[in-house]
Amino acid sequence: MSIIEARGLSKSFMQAVKEPGLGGAVKHLFLPRHIEKVAVKPLDLSVEAGETVAYVGPNGAGKSTTIKMLTGILMPSAGTVSVNGINPYKKRMDNAAQIGAVFGQRTQLWWDIPIVESFSLLKDIYQIPGAVYKTNMELFTEMLGMSEFIHLSARKLSLGQRMRADLAAALLHNPPILYLDEPTIGLDVSVKQKIREFIKQINQEQNTTVMLTTHDLGDIEDLCKRLIIIDHGAIIYDGSLSEVKARFAKNRVIFFQVGSPMPELYAQLAQTPGMKLAQQSAQEFSVSFDRYEYTASEVVGRVMRYGEVVDFRMEDTNIEQVIKAVYDGKLDLTGTGE
Amino acid sequence: MMTAAQFKMYRSIANRSLQRVLAYRISYIITFLANSINLLAIYFLWQGIYSGREVVGGYTWDQMKTYLLVTFLANSVLSWYSESAISGKILDGSVAVDLLKPVDFQTARFAETLGSSLLEGGMSTVLLILFATFLTGVTFPGSLSVYVLFAVSLLGAIVVKFGVVYLAALLCFWSTGSMGIVWTRIALTNLLSGALVPLAFFPDWLEKLALLLPFQAIIHTPSMIFLQQADTGESLRLIGIQLFWGAALWIAGKAMWNWAVRQVTIHGG
Repeated sequence: MSIIEARGLSKSFMQAVKEPGLGGAVKHLFLPRHIEKVAVKPLDLSVEAGETVAYVGPNGAGKSTTIKMLTGILMPSAGTVSVNGINPYKKRMDNAAQIGAVFGQRTQLWWDIPIVESFSLLKDIYQIPGAVYKTNMELFTEMLGMSEFIHLSARKLSLGQRMRADLAAALLHNPPILYLDEPTIGLDVSVKQKIREFIKQINQEQNTTVMLTTHDLGDIEDLCKRLIIIDHGAIIYDGSLSEVKARFAKNRVIFFQVGSPMPELYAQLAQTPGMKLAQQSAQEFSVSFDRYEYTASEVVGRVMRYGEVVDFRMEDTNIEQVIKAVYDGKLDLTGTGE
Repeated sequence: MMTAAQFKMYRSIANRSLQRVLAYRISYIITFLANSINLLAIYFLWQGIYSGREVVGGYTWDQMKTYLLVTFLANSVLSWYSESAISGKILDGSVAVDLLKPVDFQTARFAETLGSSLLEGGMSTVLLILFATFLTGVTFPGSLSVYVLFAVSLLGAIVVKFGVVYLAALLCFWSTGSMGIVWTRIALTNLLSGALVPLAFFPDWLEKLALLLPFQAIIHTPSMIFLQQADTGESLRLIGIQLFWGAALWIAGKAMWNWAVRQVTIHGG
């Protein structure tokens, strides 16, 4: 049995419908009208122990709602969930003991007392054995670079420090499952890197199952082997990250800087099927092409026939562009891919 | 029943809550000053009322002085912090973080309340001893048993007041602002507990009504015991009533929490 198992899990909310203006507000006071808003359509989900899963989708797609149902703080409207054999909603406290969670927008640290005090409180809350607590504190302090701020109160921390401390707080009790809701939101590159390294190591060493929602596609590429995309409350893709890249990230772009403008090349490229020209300036342009149809050397060779190439660089389509295409409705992952 | 590990956990929570109060040294000193000024103002108000009178509503001026001090103590043992913190948690949504912990919400809040009350209660006691040394005529009970009963009744008062505060705070699940609820609760508690005037000053019907409600356990009970208006047997009976209300409000709080959590988890935070 998978560590996280959901069958037909769905959630809908009642939403108040108010007509505009004061009249509408008064009318709503006496005759409230509600419509049912489906946040998550019935979905099936299985996550195996030790997997790292990115759960992505545009704002309002139902990501957070799903995570809230898995953590037990939201009751599903229908369907079943089991997390490590426990129904998270019915046995909220039992479930809470076996999960760690970081919600990027909220902190679980006490605001006004040194964060090390928050940590030692967690030791008592989760009944962490002294030796485990000590090992973890040393490891986390070192890996996340916390020694410089561990004696400050949470309100004195910068966002990056707070997030590192929150991550440590979520993992002190070695939970088998870790939920991260936008763990790197608003952080600078070096802190992001630290946090990703840390999560990766915890996942490898302790086989912690990680489920992560994010808008930061670097998080996904760095951390996750599996990608689940949700949109309008339904899962539209569930598979390995490399597969989605192989199937959909087939575009390659080469950026050229040339010695002099090449009008004939531009005219020729415009007529070549499978190639697309984008001009940045008179001497700079890029050519995007299907990497299964043309090779990079073919493209470069063709350009070089028309004049001197000062410089060029190549970019593969990254997962960012794939997901953007899905959000924009340009790419349908449910079908065969075309 | 609570296991040793659970006890340790809630004791830890109380400890952190105490640390939090200590972290705000300035606000702590200002509260201290405000309380002193408040106590002085009330003292002079009553002094004015008593000028030219021997007895008001069955209380002599000396008894009233004692009553004021006891009221002040009983009122301040439950910290101001806890009056607003629980509703604050609900209003700003941080209750979601509490739901992610293997902790009973009600017990944890009670532990926090006790932690911060320890300090604020201690502060009030110091203030009162200062006051009492400058005042003449404050009647102190002579027997030790009265002090023991009084201490127990103060504890009982904390439990009952917590129950009232907790239930009122949970109302914030349905309301978007807490100020109205907090002020209404404070007004009701002050009036019906005997914090504004002794219950004996009320018209007959209101006094009877007040005695049927839980609020009187907060001020009326400790003051009756300290002023020795109740003998030992009567004191024990009053403490029994406190315990009844403490338990009843606790159970009501639990039921209301379960219901509120269901609403929240069904409708979203």
